[in-house]
Amino acid sequence: MTRFTAGSHSGADPGLLIVHLYPDLLRSYGDRGNVLVLARRAEWRGISVRVVGITRGEPIPPGADLIVIGGGSDRVQALAGTDVVERRGVMADLVAGGTVVFGVCGGYQLLGHRYVGVDGGEVAGLGVLDVTTTAGPDRLVGRVSARASFGGQAFDVVGFENHAGRTTIGPAAAALASVPKGRGNDGRDRTEGAVQRNVVGTYLHGPVLPSSPGFADALLGRALARTRDHVELPPLDDRMEEAASLEALARGR
Amino acid sequence: MVLRVREQQVLGEPFEPGLGRCARDRIDGLPGPTGPEGSKVRRPGARDAVATGFARASRRLSRLSRRGEGSSLPGVVAEALSPGFVARRAAALPDGVIVVSGTNGKTTTASMIGAILSHAGVPTLGNDTGANLRQGIAAAFVGARAGARRAVLEVDEGVLGTMVPALRPRLFVLTNVFRDQLDRFGETERVVELIRRSCDRLPEGATIVANSDDPLLRFALDDRPHVTFGVRLDPDGSVREGAASAEPEICPRCGETLVYERRAIAHVGRARCAGCSWGWTPPDVEVRVLHRRGLCSVELEVEGTAFTLPTGGVYNAYNAAAAIAATKLTGIEPRTAIAALRGFRPRFGRTEQLVVDGRKVWLTLMKNPGSADAVIQEIAGDPELGAVVVAVNDAAADGRDVSWIWDVDLERLATTGVRFFPTGVRGSDVGVRLKYAGAQVERVRREPLDAIRAAIGLTDPGRSPVVLATYTAMLEVRAALSGRVARLMDRPA
Repeated sequence: MTRFTAGSHSGADPGLLIVHLYPDLLRSYGDRGNVLVLARRAEWRGISVRVVGITRGEPIPPGADLIVIGGGSDRVQALAGTDVVERRGVMADLVAGGTVVFGVCGGYQLLGHRYVGVDGGEVAGLGVLDVTTTAGPDRLVGRVSARASFGGQAFDVVGFENHAGRTTIGPAAAALASVPKGRGNDGRDRTEGAVQRNVVGTYLHGPVLPSSPGFADALLGRALARTRDHVELPPLDDRMEEAASLEALARGR
Repeated sequence: MVLRVREQQVLGEPFEPGLGRCARDRIDGLPGPTGPEGSKVRRPGARDAVATGFARASRRLSRLSRRGEGSSLPGVVAEALSPGFVARRAAALPDGVIVVSGTNGKTTTASMIGAILSHAGVPTLGNDTGANLRQGIAAAFVGARAGARRAVLEVDEGVLGTMVPALRPRLFVLTNVFRDQLDRFGETERVVELIRRSCDRLPEGATIVANSDDPLLRFALDDRPHVTFGVRLDPDGSVREGAASAEPEICPRCGETLVYERRAIAHVGRARCAGCSWGWTPPDVEVRVLHRRGLCSVELEVEGTAFTLPTGGVYNAYNAAAAIAATKLTGIEPRTAIAALRGFRPRFGRTEQLVVDGRKVWLTLMKNPGSADAVIQEIAGDPELGAVVVAVNDAAADGRDVSWIWDVDLERLATTGVRFFPTGVRGSDVGVRLKYAGAQVERVRREPLDAIRAAIGLTDPGRSPVVLATYTAMLEVRAALSGRVARLMDRPA
């Protein structure tokens, strides 16, 4: 299923292949925005981009540079979960080969080992990120601002969290960010999201990448490095994005 | 000092104002003067009358002080002075209550039902301005003229649990379910569950009237009798497959992908499951869309009678279908309903045509991706579209999480080359959204009225700007214009 094609591979340039996983299911809050921002920011640097939507039963193309997974309700996430378990081997191979995987909210939870529901029922995850999520008694909801680091770069992120799951990070992964404002992974330890090599998960909607261009570029840089020895991303005019980030920061929780 | 009270948007919890003692059980446990607390309120009738007097005075104060539209404050006062006021007033209506709920179209549907009942000579009361929480509903009873026989009340999905037992509606009209204010509701499925549970609390003999083209809503009501309405579009409603504003198009019964024969708005249409046999069935009342004229009007046909609804859009065809189906159950023939709808005017920011500095401006309410796309699908091809003002605030009533603007099909408008004017508390977020949509974006202006004026200045005479505004942004625009709007324009034929 192809959602939109932002460009096409041409000539010697290896281009960038972005896979949007379950675009028909996991899209509860603006998840396509993250995909759009990654695609445009690569195109504005002269890189040809192809975006492919992949849903239940469809194979992930082998040349995927960047895989994006959004969030959904428990009902919809459980449907995706039955498909996810079939992909564990393929995903492990892709990650080992340098593919960057970015999951948001429900997509973050699916990257982990498992999600344990309120009733104790388990949904198995892709197992590419050493985290485990358990449903909590209430939802953690509100605006978040955080200081994050990934791929050797540190940047500010702003967004909105809305999750019942409490995520615990295992020894193979590290927190993506610390949260001065917001509840984060479990509402207690002041951490937000998780990183393990080229796999990144976060609870932040917003969507998070449009108003956190540093984060978007860090993901892009890492994804482009899969097929290139040298990656340089020339700066873009991000004044509008920075204004949006400040605007979000100025709001209370 | 003038009390400043806002409707609080807390799921399922009654508003607790500084004045207030209107806890949930006061209404639920007080069906009338003989209820469990009846002894405490010796003469509720007299007490209600006094409360009404004070409440009306508070409304005048609220308006004079220009603090608000005076929609909710009187309700706070009435319920505080006379707990159980709403339940008693509802029970006293000879023809009972019609409740309208669902995500989109509540205000217009309730307003259409009210217009039809009035046309048929039934004196009604209602919460016309869309104040649909407990206090807004109480205020509707405060403001009612004497002799009302029936109430038509829109009720927010989050307060159905307390308002349905208090109002004991005879008709329960359900428009649709879209994701909306997820910071408040968590998941769309939660709203479906709230609706299901409130159906269980309807009084004996009550009838449910629901949109048969909405798969989530339809499935929620599969196990209980209900009257259905729907809309038929010939040809298709030009809705793209898998619009981002749609709910996931999966079978609510088995989880397989839904296959659409026709789409009307986002996921609303005729769908059937590719796996199990679950799917659309013909509605009891069907409205056919014959011809669409943007936001101005839409030509419809019901039971063989064609008529022009003087407010446009497929979404208004749904609102009309709901209103015709509901009033038919009160004994009003569709031809009478049609006669009333021919003269219908939309209310309070729901696709209003205003005059600003001598120029026509359309003001439309954008609550969620679904309602935004419903407007966009009507204006995208309109040669008279001059500019688009997108006003987004992030107060509780707007939805504090503004992520949803990325699910709005602004690309569809951007490809027409029209100029955009981002504004509101989150105007820069709108600007970023539009930038990535490839739109022609003007600079961000904080105040919606400034953006509207700039849009007018850059729009050729003969064309009109359209304002897409979230709830509180829409209120700001109306408040800012209150001194300037001569009157609502007469609609072009």
